[in-house]
Amino acid sequence: MDHLGYLFAANAFVWGGVLYYLLMLRKRSQALKKDLDLLKDILDKGPAK
Amino acid sequence: MNEEAAREGEGSPVLIWITALALLAAMVAIFIYVPTEKTEGAVQRIMYFHIPSAWVSFLAFFVVFLSSILFLWKKEREWDIYAHASAEVGVLFCTLVLITGPIWARPIWGAWWVWDARLTLTLVLWLIYVAYLMLRAQTDAGSMRARYAAVLGIAGFLDIPLIHFSVLWWRAFHPLPKVITSEGLGKGMDPAMLATLFISLGAFTCLYFALMGQRVNLEKLRDDIDRLKKDALDSD
Repeated sequence: MDHLGYLFAANAFVWGGVLYYLLMLRKRSQALKKDLDLLKDILDKGPAK
Repeated sequence: MNEEAAREGEGSPVLIWITALALLAAMVAIFIYVPTEKTEGAVQRIMYFHIPSAWVSFLAFFVVFLSSILFLWKKEREWDIYAHASAEVGVLFCTLVLITGPIWARPIWGAWWVWDARLTLTLVLWLIYVAYLMLRAQTDAGSMRARYAAVLGIAGFLDIPLIHFSVLWWRAFHPLPKVITSEGLGKGMDPAMLATLFISLGAFTCLYFALMGQRVNLEKLRDDIDRLKKDALDSD
């Protein structure tokens, strides 16, 4: 009557969901930082002639 | 300034540590401290994930509601950022409510889903805020997008009082509220179960603020890039 499989599934979905979201945020953040550094480099070098 | 805030904010190490410790305490309370419920058995422990997920989604959508009002009133981008970030975190937790609920319901009710008022209204809430995120993703950036999103963010929140009172107003499958009752807070609940629930609610609330911090920083970083792109174009 304990239905441990259901408890395990609910637990796995909660932590899996949160971890997936955290990884997605990290991935998006890294991509944006890369863009930012690239833009800074371009601006530091000045306009292309 | 924004960029600095974003890079520093990625730390917020105090909040991250508090969240990690709170989640650890919640896990100990859920799986070791709290006694097993006599009728439902171990599966009842899903409650300590299900209710806090619902609470965080309501909190997140309340922040969307409040930030959207402040955005329409003050026209400051900052409020739009908070609304957008909170909607995303809210949808994540609302999804977890809609997943953990059926997993809990299956062994207890014998069905994954019933078209009960509370369940249906929760699904409607999720659809509203998924539509909110789609609106933001599919339309061009600008004040009009932010305005439309703010209106939807405010209107969507009206579903939450309906969800709360639905079990009192209509005959429902979903159990009546056990924490906030007319007799008082948590009356009729085992003290250990109530304590565990509050520890879990606290831990999930910390998790909400930690995720919000990360998401807000991301949006500020995006603003920095847009600003630099504009500067680069202007200087050409």
